[in-house]
Amino acid sequence: MYRGREGQWAFLLHRLSGLAILLYLMLHVFSIGSFIFGERFYMAIHETYDLWPFRIGLLFVTAGVVYHAFNGLRIIVMDFTGFGVAYQRQMWYGVMAISLLAFVGAAWVVMPRILGGY
Amino acid sequence: MTQTHAQASSAPVSASVPMLQLKVKVLRFDPEKDKKAYWTTYDVEAQAGDRVLDVINHIKWYLEPSLTFRRSCMHGICGSDAMLINGRNRLACKTLVRDVAKSGGTITVEPIRGLKVEKDLLVDMEPFFDSYKAIMPYFINESPAPAAERIQSEEEAERMAHSSNCILCACCTTSCPIFWVNGSYLGPAAIVQAHRFIFDTRDEATQQRLGIMNQNTGVWRCRTAYNCTEACPRDIPITQLIEEVKRAVMYGQA
Repeated sequence: MYRGREGQWAFLLHRLSGLAILLYLMLHVFSIGSFIFGERFYMAIHETYDLWPFRIGLLFVTAGVVYHAFNGLRIIVMDFTGFGVAYQRQMWYGVMAISLLAFVGAAWVVMPRILGGY
Repeated sequence: MTQTHAQASSAPVSASVPMLQLKVKVLRFDPEKDKKAYWTTYDVEAQAGDRVLDVINHIKWYLEPSLTFRRSCMHGICGSDAMLINGRNRLACKTLVRDVAKSGGTITVEPIRGLKVEKDLLVDMEPFFDSYKAIMPYFINESPAPAAERIQSEEEAERMAHSSNCILCACCTTSCPIFWVNGSYLGPAAIVQAHRFIFDTRDEATQQRLGIMNQNTGVWRCRTAYNCTEACPRDIPITQLIEEVKRAVMYGQA
């Protein structure tokens, strides 16, 4: 692995979170759209989503969307201002802090559903 | 580190300089014998102030004569000895042993990535120079020259001060994650060279170069991973220059 610094990991995470969001969106569209195959099919899928791995996945989707959004703002600031390039590292730590907060916040809300399993 | 060094410097000094015991791991590849590259470790004694290039020369001269790599001026100007040293692109002649390893430690040396390895640390630089040629790296001004010189103000010269520092060592281009997977991307070095002419007030081919930068192999492939800026041995703020070119393309001005 190339020993790049913050910028490299910011780029890699941005790409991965983007792909993850795309995958989530496709899955989402499919599972909602599955109603055209009837209620039983739709419910079978959605009962699967109640399993705890999907609940935990939800936390990562939340963190991923928040990361992608705020890192996108970081990229816009970098593209349009010299200030953005000079402070890209600090901004990235800010983005990571916000993403972590989103993860913890989502965990706080979803935890009962993970433990309770409903 | 070597006998030659001990003889070159004055005897009392070299006797007092502590020697570091190093393991130097080199990624080797001989196209005539090997299907895959493989690691070989050499035990080398070096001084903290030796350059990594001295260590590699020692291996070639005393341990493994077939080791192949480029080096020419050995003073960070010719840009021949870009290598992937301890996971980062650096010039072997501008990297001191003490900055990459302690005594008993390991230095890893690999060829730069994204270009075809010809043998050991030697890569095919042709694609890199093709990208360089693509941005028309020469002064274009069809207007008749004035009697004296084409005058620039200090501020105008300052605009291209960083980009004219480039030595074309390929440290930046081969550290770029986009270039690794997409060899058609012109790469940071070519964009830095383009910047040097785009922001030269005496040059008249600005629009043509901005057009080249606007193609899908050009400046928009940059995803601001900053590896180029970290790798540059000339301390050129490469990402900042690329962003300036992006803005010049977008606003259609330079």
